[in-house]
Formats: sequence, structure tokens, C-alpha cells
Amino acid sequence: MALTEDPYTLISKWLHAKEFLVVGKGIARADALDKALGTAKFVEDYFQEGMLFVKQVLSTEPHAKILRVRDEEALKVPKVVKVFTARDIPGENQVGYALPDQPLIAEGKVRYHGELVALVAAEDIDAALRAAELVKVDYDPLPYVLDPLEALERKDVLVHEEVGSNIAFRTKVRKGNVEEGFSEADVIVENEYRTHHQDHVYLETEGALAIPGLDGRLTVVTAAQYPHLAQSIIARVLGVPASSIKVVVPFMGGGFGGKDDEGPLTAAKAALVAHLTGRPAFILYTREESLRMHPKREATIIKYKSGATKDGKLTAIDVKIIHDTGAYANRGPFILWRATVHASGPYEVPHARVEGYCVYTNKVYQGSFRGFGNPSVQFAAEMQMNELARKLGMDPVEFRLKNMLRPGSRTITNQLLEESVGIAEAVEKLAEKVNWAKRRAECESFKGRYRRGIGIGVAWHGISTSRGVPDWSNAYVKIDKDGSVSMFTGIVEMGQGSPNSSHRQIVAEILGAPLEKVKVVFGTSDAPDAGATHASRGTSIGAIGVLVAAARVRERLNKLAAELLGCKPEDVEIKNGVVRAKGTGKELSWDELIKQAYARGVDLSATGYFFLPKGKFNDELGQGQAYPAFSYVAMIAEVEVDTWTGKVRVLRIWPALAAGRIINPQQVEGQIEGAAVQGMGYVLMEQFVFDNKGRILNADLTDYVVPTTLDIPEIEKPVYVEDLFKYGPFGAKGVGEMALIPAPAAIAGAVSHALGKPITKLPLTPEAVYFELRKGGST
Amino acid sequence: MKVSFILNGEPVTVDVKPNETLLDTLRLKLNIKSVKRGCERAECGACTVLVDGRPTYSCNLLTAQVEGKEVTTLEGLRDDPIVKELTSKFVERGAIQCGFCTPGFIITAYALLKSGKELTPENVKKMLEGNICRCTGYKKIIEAVTAAAEALKK
Repeated sequence: MALTEDPYTLISKWLHAKEFLVVGKGIARADALDKALGTAKFVEDYFQEGMLFVKQVLSTEPHAKILRVRDEEALKVPKVVKVFTARDIPGENQVGYALPDQPLIAEGKVRYHGELVALVAAEDIDAALRAAELVKVDYDPLPYVLDPLEALERKDVLVHEEVGSNIAFRTKVRKGNVEEGFSEADVIVENEYRTHHQDHVYLETEGALAIPGLDGRLTVVTAAQYPHLAQSIIARVLGVPASSIKVVVPFMGGGFGGKDDEGPLTAAKAALVAHLTGRPAFILYTREESLRMHPKREATIIKYKSGATKDGKLTAIDVKIIHDTGAYANRGPFILWRATVHASGPYEVPHARVEGYCVYTNKVYQGSFRGFGNPSVQFAAEMQMNELARKLGMDPVEFRLKNMLRPGSRTITNQLLEESVGIAEAVEKLAEKVNWAKRRAECESFKGRYRRGIGIGVAWHGISTSRGVPDWSNAYVKIDKDGSVSMFTGIVEMGQGSPNSSHRQIVAEILGAPLEKVKVVFGTSDAPDAGATHASRGTSIGAIGVLVAAARVRERLNKLAAELLGCKPEDVEIKNGVVRAKGTGKELSWDELIKQAYARGVDLSATGYFFLPKGKFNDELGQGQAYPAFSYVAMIAEVEVDTWTGKVRVLRIWPALAAGRIINPQQVEGQIEGAAVQGMGYVLMEQFVFDNKGRILNADLTDYVVPTTLDIPEIEKPVYVEDLFKYGPFGAKGVGEMALIPAPAAIAGAVSHALGKPITKLPLTPEAVYFELRKGGST
Repeated sequence: MKVSFILNGEPVTVDVKPNETLLDTLRLKLNIKSVKRGCERAECGACTVLVDGRPTYSCNLLTAQVEGKEVTTLEGLRDDPIVKELTSKFVERGAIQCGFCTPGFIITAYALLKSGKELTPENVKKMLEGNICRCTGYKKIIEAVTAAAEALKK
């Protein structure tokens, strides 16, 4: 390989570009008009009558042996084709991500109310619904456990007997000597925090259509956030090679992490039926099924002790994190790792002890959701910071700035942060923009029924997978003879926009091709594996492959153009389809250049593989490099609390982001605004109600309430600090999850300020606030 | 049972079950795909259509109930100047992310603009309350609708 095609050289060359054609501009998304007109296709739009419809039979017990699945009555329904159970699975009935503890279809026993027990396939939807009701399951109920603290103690009730306890996974971080740290502290704050489940409520529920034989393989059209993962899970369940499965992810009606977990399982269910019947099979979750079955944001108990000196320096933290993982580990261990290594918040702490427990219970399991274990632990860490500041008589922003991570700081895992740490500057600018001290004093002047409060949340979020877990990027680019450019990626389009905005801009920027000639083909397992569209990586890690592939072709085009124009390759400029030799006035068109490339044997296709360099992490010591870089975020929220009813209104939100290069400011704003409102819903409105069998009682959008237009605050323009990441495309770090992470801390902090009371438990529904206010007889 | 109604200006007659929702008839029998299935419980608004000009949740209406009525979806409004203005403002203002809720918002906003009511950010919010978007946080949607109304005034 020629030196100029080395990925490190190319990434660095474009990182240091001085001026940009399209990067940094709020260019409209390529998919926007089709979506506005309703012509953009989602999974269900590919369903046609005549295909098999698949309906799920769910467990009605929280924990029970399955004695028998009786399908005789169901099979009598006209047009019913077959009822499938675990024993019909030709490959492995094993779909656990982090641990091999989870079947696709329950086998032997069920572990939560709502678990999949059987699939019914029928010629039409009504027949499938009727038959599913007629499938009778004989259960032998087992004792069950719903509370994670109880589950930790019980040895007689085990969700997974083979584990020997209900602890699925443990994590730890150790730094310095915590006892010594607390002995140096002048103030100590100790609290127990509780946070609750949250559902993604993507507007499109889970669905998949599997078509045997299309394109020579079993093709599955599905809503999964990682086509290659769906491909490998389907292959495992069917017992066939991955090469015989093709996964296509069309436009997705929202994901937020939920379809990273449930997407591949949905796909595997449709694929199983299609594979066994030889016919196209379609599955679509009802909203009720979606709410009952798919993994939720982790519910947590966090015990947090922290100390600081009287001049405002943190000395130590001691944190115990308990995640209620529900019936299966799913990605729980990874979620717990993320919570554990971020437990300090974005601050320097000389002594730290963090212990994490991922605990099984007989409830719906936990999974990936925007923030991935971080919003809950940042909430706890930030509430601690507020209390420490109050005890010290310091302003909470000033106290935070005294301890904030900066270039040269070491994290609680002793990772040295050499660069790309822009959070202190972001917080300073944000506080100035908000006029923090003045506004805070103004809030305190509200004394009547309606109180005002202001709060700040500051957070960090590691980019890429935790610790040393391998991560990479890739993509494939080709230029056709007419000069049109196709970039193929496994990154999906779930609304975040990376393929249709930032990837397209990156390709147009690097090649100099007109934007309208660039098409990004997304979400296909036929593209090289680019990793998942999760962890805010679509435009960061996910686009490195896009950048490298395009940059390789650009090097070849520079060389060709230099020959044609009689100049040096470094003097070739390609802008919006015009190719020039700098300073000579000589030029040719993009289309002509591409024609010449075809005529002269220049390869206009390339892949962009990049393996992200990572340091070492020692799981035993809980020390080492946790992430190659961190994105940082801060949020200030102002609230009004009605002390008569307990109702909280968020009036205004001010966000700040230090996430490297902003490739498309309009799309980044969209991510921030959406995440802030989803975070607000989490804090104030959204909660599941479980009955005494662990059944979700409010599995519909009437009783699981999400924000509407009438609930939203004013959201101000974000403050950006572009702290470039050396391996990011043009220096970009992750954005998608960021603004949700500090939202609980900012909003709960503001409520706490308004009420003059610490807040340790979410959600802050009117009734919760009402009773909190009346606790201890005040107000 | 046979039901006849006007769909996007054209008379149609379809054979439906008595308990069939308009959403299912439109999506599965009449190839109207801009109407989305979100909650099937009259909460999210992704399935919004116009019935005799009024925004209506098609998941909460039996097809038998629209006998003789006029049903309008985005498919029938693509050349309408108000819809053109709305779609162009939604695109320009970044009001679209996953796009699943967008047709429902555009239909509702169309009815609001068509009504000729004086527009303030407050009544735009009120009018759009019955449509859920989980991606955008609504800010850019409200801006897009307000901007379209401004542009149409000129």
C-alpha cells in the first residue's frame, strides 16, 4: 500500500484541514423530503398480504417451569400454518449478548411476565391473533424475586440456577486509598439514590420481514441498529453460515438503543419462521408487546459517599452501584461497566472505590438506552456535588470547576487525558451565557405557591466500547462512470442522520464531488462491518471508515488530476465538482476526471478499515484506559414547581457540548433538543407500574406518558467547544446520547434548589414532589 | 361488508370486516403508506388523516364509519401549496429525524393552516399536542410550522 493510503496519515491530514466546503454547515438531510411526504419506507411498508404473519405468545408467569405448550386448539383455526416453540430451533437457542444466558424462545422455564414462549404463523393477521390466544401453556409456578436488594440476598430463589446466585456480573474501580481520602475530607456527603426504568417509545414498534431465497440468501428486512449483529444472531439461531443471511435495515422509526437489543431478536423470529416454512414471514410487535418485552433503561440503586476539603477539592468517593438487570444480563455487564468507570462524574478524584452489581430479578430485562448506564450515575454524582457545595458554602458551578477534568488530568481509572478535554471551558461559557449567579439569586426570590429553581448537570461519556474491547470502522466507496458516488456502510438511519447528513458531507468534502452526486447506502450487511449504530458512534467511530475510504480515492484522483493538469498532486483542488490546478487557471470538470480515471486504469473503489488503537485495562484492579476519548456535556435547567400540586415545569434549558468537530450544527442541535426532552420525560413523567407478579400494568401510550408539545421548555442554542479528537473524522466525537446524560442531574438539581431539599429519587412526578414537600412537615 | 368513501378525491369501494380500522384498510388494502402505525390507541398521531377536513386518528376509527365521507392523506396533498410549504420548511429547519411521525404532523399542521386561524407559538403547540415525536423534542417542528404560516401569509 502506498504511504498516502495509510489510514493514520489520511485521518490526520483531514483533521488539520483549514477550510471546509460542507463540513460544519447545517445542510439539509438527504432523506428529509421523502420522510416529509411519507414516501420513505419503513419495515412495515414492505409487508403485503399473502405473506405469513407471525404472532407471539407471551408468558403470563414471572417464573415458572414450562410443562407443556398445547397448540391443538390453535391449529384448528383456519389459515393457521404452525406453532413454533424452542424445540423447533434448528441452531442454537442462545441470544445473550454479554453472557450466554438468554434463549430466543423460552426453554424449560420462563423468567419474566411477558417472555416469548411460542410463535404462531398464519396466512392472515386475524387468524394469527386468534390462534395465539388459543395456545395454552401449562406452567409449574416457581417462587420469584422482583426486588434487586432481596435478589442479592436470596440463595433459595435463583433466576438462573447455574449461576449459583442472582449476581450476573460484578465490576470495580480502585484508585488510591479511599480511607485516607476520607480522613483528609472536611465535609462528607452520603446518600442512596434510586432511578427507574424508562422505555424508548420509538414511534415505530419492532418488526421484521424475512424472505427466503431473495438475492440467493435468506434476506431479512428489519429494524436493527447493527445489521451485522442481526446477521450473526440469525445465523446462530438457524445453524447456518452468516454468509447465507442478508440483513437490510431500511429507514427506522427511532431506535435510541432499544433496537440494538431487540432488533436482532425480532429479525431472528421472522427468519426462523421463513427458514422453516420456506415462505416470506412478517412479524410486527404491537405497542403493548413492545412495552412488555423489550429491554428498558436500567433501574438502579446507587449508594454514594464523597468527601471534599474546605477549600473545595474532592478527596474521595466510595460508590456502590446496583443495576436491576431483570431476567437476563443482555448488555447489562457493559452498561454496568460504563456506569462504574464514569461514577465520579467529569472530575478529578484522588481516591476512588466503585463496586458494581448487575442483579437478576424476575422482571423485564434491562438494556441499551441513550446514555447506557450513565444518566443514572451522573445524576447521583451531581447530586453529591450539589450537597458538597452547599455544605461548603460554595457556588455549585465554582465548586465543580475546581475539580473538573482538564488536559493532563487523570480519571478514576488512572487514565491520563492528554487532549480533547473541553469541558471546563464549556461550563465557564455556559455559566456566563446563563448569568448563573444572578439567575440563581432571582429564583430564590420566588416565595409563594410557585417556586423557581435552577440546576446544573455536567457529564462525560466515553467514546467507543468500554475498556480494551476491540472497536473498528469500515465502509466501501465506489464512483460510477457518470461521476455519481456510492458509499456503503453498515451504520443505520434511525433518525440520528449520520448516513444522510454527516457521512454524505464527509464524502462530498473529501472527494470535492457535488453533494447531489453523493449517495450513502446505509444499514446493509453487504457493506463492510462498521460496528453498531450505538454509543454515539454513527458520526464518530462509524464515519472514520467513510473518511478513510473517500480519502484513499481522493489521493488517486489528485495524482490523476495532477497528470492531466500538469501540476503537483498537492496543488490539485476539487471543489463542488470543479477540478483545478492551484494558481494556474487550468481546470476540468468532475465528470471528465472520472471518465479519465476509467480510461486510464485508476481504481475508483476503496474500503476504509480502521482499527481503533486502545490502551490496556485491568479488570481485576479496575485501572487503565477506559475509552480512547470522552465527549463532554453540560446542561443548566430552570424549573417552576407548583407547591400545591407538586407539578414541575421545566421553563428553560441551556446546553453546552464539548464533542469535537461539529459536522452538521443543525443535526447536532436536533440531537441535543431531542435528548433533552427525552431526558425531561424520564425525570418528570415516564415510569412503569409493576404488579406483584412483575407484570407491567401500563403497557400502552395512554398510561405510559411521554412529553408532547405542551410539555417542552425553551431550549437555547448550544455552546460548543470543539475539542478535536485525533482519530475522529475531522475530529468529531460522539453527540447522539450526550444531552440526555446530564438532564436528570440538571432538572432534579433545579427542583432541589426550588424546594430547598436534596433529591435522591426519580421520577419527579407531581405526586412524588407533592409528598416530598410534605415530608417532615415543611411548606 | 362493502364501504364506499372518497379517498384523496377519488371514490373507492372496499370490502372490509366490521371491526376493521381505517388505518388497516388504508395501509393493507389501499396502499396508503404515509399513514403510520404507532400506538393503535389514539395517542401518538402517526396515523392522522383528514376525515371531511378534520384531523382524525385512523387507528381509532372503523372503516365502516367513513361511509360516504371524504378521507385525505398526504398521498392526495403532495401538490397542495400549503403542504409544499410545510414540507419545505420541515426539510429546511431540520424538523425531521426518523421521519415516522412526520406525515402525521404535516397533516395536522395542514389542517391548522387551512383553518385560517391566527397563529401564535402557543396555539401551534396546542394544535400539535396530539402528535408525538420522540426524536426532535418538537422545537424545530414548531419552528417549521410557524415559518410555513409566515411564508404563506406573504
